[in-house]
This record gives sequence, structure tokens and C-alpha cells, in this order.
Amino acid sequence: MIRSKQIELIRLGVTNLLGYPLRTFLTTLGVVFGVGSVIAMLALGAGAEQEILEEIGRLGIQNVIVNSVKPPETNKGNEQRSWISQYGITFTDFKQIKSTVPGLKSVIPVHMSRKQAWFGSKKVETTIYAVQPEYMSLFDLRTAMGRDLTGVDGAELARVCVLRAGLLKSLGIFGDPIGLTIQLGEDQAYEIIGILEDDKFRGYAREALAIDSSNSEIYVPYQTILGRHGTRSISRSSGTFEATDIELSQIVIEVTDLDNVLIVARMLERIFAINHEDRDYDIVVPLEALAQRRKTQQVFNMALVAIASISLLVGGIGIANIMLATVTERTKEIGIRRALGAKRHHILAQFLTETTTISTLGGVLGILLGLGLVQVLIFFTGWTAKITFNSIALSLSISMAVGIVSGIFPARRAAYLDPISALRHE
Amino acid sequence: MSTDDVVISLREIHKYYGDGEIRLHVLKGINLDVKRGEFIAITGASGSGKSTLLNLLGCLDRPTSGEFILAGRDVAKLNDDELSTIRNEEIGFIFQSFNLISALNVLDNVQVPLLYGPHVTSTKTARCRELLASVQLDHRLDHKPPQLSGGERQRVAIARALVNEPVMLLADEPTGNLDTKTGDQVLELIERLHAEGRTIVMITHDPEVAMRAERTVNMRDGLMFDVERP
Repeated sequence: MIRSKQIELIRLGVTNLLGYPLRTFLTTLGVVFGVGSVIAMLALGAGAEQEILEEIGRLGIQNVIVNSVKPPETNKGNEQRSWISQYGITFTDFKQIKSTVPGLKSVIPVHMSRKQAWFGSKKVETTIYAVQPEYMSLFDLRTAMGRDLTGVDGAELARVCVLRAGLLKSLGIFGDPIGLTIQLGEDQAYEIIGILEDDKFRGYAREALAIDSSNSEIYVPYQTILGRHGTRSISRSSGTFEATDIELSQIVIEVTDLDNVLIVARMLERIFAINHEDRDYDIVVPLEALAQRRKTQQVFNMALVAIASISLLVGGIGIANIMLATVTERTKEIGIRRALGAKRHHILAQFLTETTTISTLGGVLGILLGLGLVQVLIFFTGWTAKITFNSIALSLSISMAVGIVSGIFPARRAAYLDPISALRHE
Repeated sequence: MSTDDVVISLREIHKYYGDGEIRLHVLKGINLDVKRGEFIAITGASGSGKSTLLNLLGCLDRPTSGEFILAGRDVAKLNDDELSTIRNEEIGFIFQSFNLISALNVLDNVQVPLLYGPHVTSTKTARCRELLASVQLDHRLDHKPPQLSGGERQRVAIARALVNEPVMLLADEPTGNLDTKTGDQVLELIERLHAEGRTIVMITHDPEVAMRAERTVNMRDGLMFDVERP
């Protein structure tokens, strides 16, 4: 039976390291913290990336969203300004997109208005989203209770609404809400037919869909609002009137083929550039945003890892430093081994084995530390973090590499000691 | 005397240290033949070139000129790796200060030369145990050198020297760090090894110790002289 000499070398290396447990432990610390922080940084980076993916993914990378925005230059033509401010996406835009842009699966109009919702004497500021049923399914707005909006509701111009669960409490509705009637705006009574699951659009997705953070959206059939109410909206707040006439607040365009998304986006830009004098629209392309955000995040991740790697570098220098001291301390041992027939490469291998063992051990401990650190961070900050197999493999190989690199100089020094003077060294 | 019987042969060995003005002529033409199974003592005062000769015999160093045949090979012309192999396979060192590795236990210490040989086999590791048994240390396998007495340490070192069945045992003041009684036990062990047919070269400054060998040569001022036995 032949016992591999490599295994024997490693065993002796470990024996040697265990001979000085405290020193070995302290030497590994640098790598432990280095690897730990690299793992944590990579996990946070991957978590952030996943969050972006989910956020933007929820918008649908095959969709293009156009929002109406208040143009910045309202003070320009003060003298000819009408009492009603008129801007944003028009029905003309909508028809033009529908009839001229090819390869679209659907074009969904959305009209939004700020209104007060009343239930009894309770009053809440809300945003009414006049949407078609497709909108609800496209953005995965599922009802947890009651039923969804349907095409029939729209055709009948039914006064029905689906609202956020959060609104119920502020409206003072505590029993079964389905079938109850709330007042939207001045005099419109709407029947509650469904309650939305209490999840939110976060960050980018919320911004792109023009949803505010109050979690108080009310969804009603598009035709009901347009047919019964029109597009004008007057909001009264603290004694001032603000009248707006925005024909469409938003258009969601669903492209059939993913490859065409960017082309469609360019066409939309052209249409809007021609139809609008002011920049009173905003075209959101989730696909582009995704690519850009990911790129930004990756650069950010790399910066984080680079910073974390500094401690890894310091750890490597620590190992090299201790090993250099060890070589001096073990000069006699090196002399003995040389006398007993060790070639230079044997001595080299011995010291490299020791440094690599130290750093790999540090790597393993560092990974455990990193995993723990990530759990602690998640617990205290609520950040998303994702530990990937790649990050563990990367950290482990980096720590092994650190061992080899930091070992080379001391090991060479040991290997090229003169055997005679090494043997006489006391 | 046939050449087969000569294990060590030194011919006109010269060794210089340094260069130019400060060039030191340490060995000034050494000639020596050691037969297989011979037990020879080399004596000499410090500065006589004894240590330099020891380094050459131990293949730790190369002569400046001359021919050094060890087990049929001219060692004077070998490179560092080849010299290492010779040290590993053909020479068993026994040092004055034992030179055990204190971080390793007794068994591991004896096994060190195996690491640098062709491969470690279970027969060889079994042999390490046998050797330790033959020097009455089989009950101390797990001890580290600092836990052993001087005599025990030297016996570990002797067991280690025998692991690769070397052609020559090279003992450098083997009793120098021992009291008379344990020194005597070590010498008895060396005599036993000689009786088993091993070739032994022992370097010592002590004439009494040298008397235990079959033959003594004396180093003086870089030259070697035979010593007449009474």
C-alpha cells in the first residue's frame, strides 16, 4: 500500500500548525475577516441585483410604459395660460400607437385621478386608477377577496371598484367589505367588489407605474370613469382649486416579441416627439432600465468586493510576515530536513503547504463568518442578500491563492538556505 | 582490496573558502579509503579541517577539486538535487545535538527521511517501528523530543539514520552532548550496528571515544594522518 506523499506532507504541515494553535489562529484571522467580508459583500450585491430583477421584472421586460408628466415649463406662457392645465398623453397618441406600431400584443390605457374616498363620515385621499382588466392581470394585481374587474364591468359602465386592503382600515370598514358602497369624489357611489392582496410595488416599479407610496390605490373600470366622468379632474385642497385635463395618464404597451422591445420604444419616442411640443410624457422601458440598473449594481458590487479584498490582501501580508518569521525560527529544522535528503522543492512545498493550509482554513472560517454576518445583516436591516455557490467557490479559491502567493517568498527563502549554516543555526 | 569493497574513496580532495587575498585553503589533498563494514574514527582539533571534511563526507558540500566516490558515484560533480538524493539514500547522519524536529513525535521524526525518498510504503513505516523497537523506544512513539532524555533522543536519531538503509553512517561527535554513562550506551549501540556489518565514520575530538573504532585517522592543518594504535 502506497501512502501518497502529498497527503503525508499536508498531514505534517497541519501537525506543525497545530503545534502552535494560537499563532496559527491569529495568522488565519486576516483571511477570515477578508473572506467573511467578501462573502457578505457578494451576498448583499447579489441580493440587491435580485431585488432589481424582481422589481423591474414585475413591470415586465416585454412592456413599455408611457406616463404623463407635468411639463416643467408651466411658467413660460403665463398670460395665455387657461384656468385648466392640459398636458400629457392624448387619445390621439393612443390611437396612433395602436394603429401604426406593429408587433404589439396590447395597448392598455390608464387614467388616474386624485380623489377623496368617503365611507360614512370617514374621508381618505386616494388615487383612482381607471384601468382595463388586462392591466390588472399584466401587473399581477390579484384580489385576495371578492372578484376581479371584468370586461363586462367596463361595458356596463358599472360603478364598481377594487381597492387595497390598507384602505379598509382608514375608511373604517371592519366587517366584510364586499358589496359595501363608498363615495369616490363628489357624488359617485361605487360598490366594492374586490380587495387586493396587500403587497406593494417597490422602488423602481412603483415609480414606473406612477403609484404613490401610500398604498391606497382604488381600481375602477376604465370605461366607467371615461364614460361617466370624463377626463377632467378638479381637486380641491386647502382652499385652492386645481383643475387638470389629462386625457390619459399612462399607456402600457405590451410587445409580442422581446427582441422588438427596444425598436418599439424608439418608435414611441418618435411618435411622442412629433405629437408633443413639451416634454409632458415619460417613456419607461423596463428592459433598458434593467440592463442599466444591473450594470450599475455590478460596478457597485465590484467596488464593494474590491474594498473587502483589501482586508484579504492584509491577511495575505500577515501570513507572509508570520511565515518569514517562522522561516528564521525554523532555520535549524530546515537544515535538518535538508541533511536528511530534502530537496529544495520539498522545502518549498512544505512551506507552501503550510501557508495554503492556513489560508484555506481561514477561507473556510471566513465563509462561515460571512454566512453569519449576512444573516445578522438581514435580521437587523431587512436587506435582501443572496449567497451564491459562486461566491463561496470564489472566496475559497481566492483564499487558497492568497496562501500560495504569500507563501512563495518565505518558502523560497527557506528552500535556498545553505544547508550547512542552517544546520549549525541555533 | 577490490573496488567493490571500498564504500568511500577520497582522492586529492582540496577545499578552498573565499576568493583572492582571503582565500582559505582548508583541505590540502585528502586521501582516504573506507571499506564496507569498516568503523573509522576521524579526530582532530578545531580548525584542523575536520568539520569541512564532515560536510564533504555528508554530501552537504562539494570539494573544490579532487574525487569523492561514494558507493560507486563521484559525488564531487553532483548538483544540489542529486546531492540531496545521496544524503537521503546513502548517508545516515548522527549529530552531536541529535537534530530531531521538536514539533514532530518520535515516530514522525524517524519517518522524515521517507518523505524525501521515492515513496512511502507501509513496509517502510513498519520498519520505522521495528527500528524504534530495536533501540528500545517503541513505548515512546507519541512523545515529542523535548520529553525525552539525551540518550533517548540520540537513539531516535540513530533509528532515523537507519531508515533508508544507508551505505554509511556518519556520526559527528555522537556522545558530545551526553554524560559518560549514556554516551557509553550510545557507543555500544554504534558498535552493535558495526557488528551487524554497517560502515561507520565517526568524527570525534575525544581519543578515548576514537579508540572504540577499528581505525583512527587524525586531521591536522588540512591534512590527514593515520594514527598508530598501541
